[in-house]
Amino acid sequence: MNKKLIYSLVAIAFVFFITSLIIFLKSRSSVEPKVENPSKSVIQTEVDPPQLLKVKIFYFTNKSRYMKPMNYELENSPIKIELYKRFIDLIIQEKEDFITPLPQGLRLRTLYYIGSKKLLVLDFNENLVTRFPAGSSSELEFIYFIVDNICFNFEEVKMVKFLISGNEYNTISGHIDIENPFYPDYRYLRIN
Amino acid sequence: MKNIKLLLFGLLLISWQLFPLSIQIRSFDHDGFTRIVFEGDQSFQFKIRSSDSKFRLEIDKKVRVEKEFIQINNSDLLDKVVFLEEKRKSVFSVFGKGGFEIKRHFVLERPFRVVFDLVKSGPVPGDQKPLKISHAEKSVDRFEKNQESENEFKAGKQGQKKLIETICIDPGHGGSDFGALGKSNLKEKDITLKVGKKLKQIVESRLGIRVILTRKIDSEVSLNSRVSIANNQKADMFISIHVNSSFRKAARGPETFYVSLKATDQESFELARKENKSFDEIDQKAESDDLKMILWNMAQTEFIRESSKLADFIQSELNVLMNTINRGVKQAPFRVLMRAAMPAVLIEVAFISNAYEEKKLTNDSFLDRIGQSIYSGISKFIYYHNTMNR
Repeated sequence: MNKKLIYSLVAIAFVFFITSLIIFLKSRSSVEPKVENPSKSVIQTEVDPPQLLKVKIFYFTNKSRYMKPMNYELENSPIKIELYKRFIDLIIQEKEDFITPLPQGLRLRTLYYIGSKKLLVLDFNENLVTRFPAGSSSELEFIYFIVDNICFNFEEVKMVKFLISGNEYNTISGHIDIENPFYPDYRYLRIN
Repeated sequence: MKNIKLLLFGLLLISWQLFPLSIQIRSFDHDGFTRIVFEGDQSFQFKIRSSDSKFRLEIDKKVRVEKEFIQINNSDLLDKVVFLEEKRKSVFSVFGKGGFEIKRHFVLERPFRVVFDLVKSGPVPGDQKPLKISHAEKSVDRFEKNQESENEFKAGKQGQKKLIETICIDPGHGGSDFGALGKSNLKEKDITLKVGKKLKQIVESRLGIRVILTRKIDSEVSLNSRVSIANNQKADMFISIHVNSSFRKAARGPETFYVSLKATDQESFELARKENKSFDEIDQKAESDDLKMILWNMAQTEFIRESSKLADFIQSELNVLMNTINRGVKQAPFRVLMRAAMPAVLIEVAFISNAYEEKKLTNDSFLDRIGQSIYSGISKFIYYHNTMNR
């Protein structure tokens, strides 16, 4: 091998090493003076979102008119709207041994969060009205299954409003008014 | 010309003799007043003449009665009714045990009835004053009845509280809206219509109260139209009849609802406390501007307390009928109740989604008993309402 080439490579490697060393030392010296309060750095590490979020989902059973809780873990997201979507997708999945009071083919189209009103707007597909089995109790079971579960797990959501294919409807099947948003009604829930 | 007049007079005389009017009389004491009802098999014109301890109902038709003298034993106020035929006139004279006066009278149709509410004469407690019966002669038709209702309503607004005179019964669903379906293809809309008609018949015959149905046939009526009918007819009570359905097939029993937007009961509080959620927070939410706006828009707000009472009375009767103790009165934002400007409830008589109750709903005598139970609840509420508003 050409000696000149070897010297050149060694020189480049030396220059690269020195440059890296300088950058490293500079970056250390720029961080260290900012750590005035060691507890602050501890808080920063706690803020980091965990990979899984523990949630409690309440389900109806055939034996009881009240919903009972089950613990689940949900993949967390720093984007709240994404987290709500994951949560709703989780609760509208059919579960063995529990009653999910939902019409067949129900799908969440989109959702919005209006921070000033702490209102979550859920836009479901048309199956919510076209495939709904009717009956006051069915409507109440559906509404409070969704509203109670969301409000119970996400304190920043105080109200939930339903849209169907982007439109406001008077009722789902002729009973409960869904033009107005719903507050949770925890009378449907039982902890034990 | 003179001959034509004579001919017409002759025809009138013949028809007067050939097609007599049949009238049945019944009376009963309510709390604070006594009601006497003259029920005819056809409509008729009448005049009223009253004095301190009797009044006369004069009818310009020949009348057929079962008895010419009726002794009234079930009343503290009334003594007897005597029937007399005078010159081209049939007269019922109603005698009291003491002095009395006509508090009000009104006409109901199908069947045609003239209803009198009588009170003891003398000073009336409080500010309440009997309505003045000014017309000696009255042509009876729907228009005048409406005028009369309007006058009474105005009188009520001017200080005299209104007693219950009209009930609106709303058989749920109808037409292309079947409501809930049973496994045997039993339709909610058919059951609600049957129960509604039965209830109308019972209430009219026993209480002599005017009853309106929001639908009489299998037709589609929007939720807004249903409540508009009740509001426009100035109904004093709104009863919506439904059949329930649940995702839980085991769910059974009757339920009675009235409107509310606020969850404030003890269970909710306890749960909120257990879960470290502040109940104050829930309460504050109810006071938010949004909710105030909703409540402002809700005609039912003013009547929620009475609606709750009405629901209690009806549910108690249904619980006895169905032998249920667990299900009870509930609150929910029912669309059809929210704009009702009167005490209003929605009754879910049974679960069509439950096989046992679906079978019961096919039995006509079971539907009769449901009608009876709702009637009992209504009559208890009327007693309560009239006592409170006297």
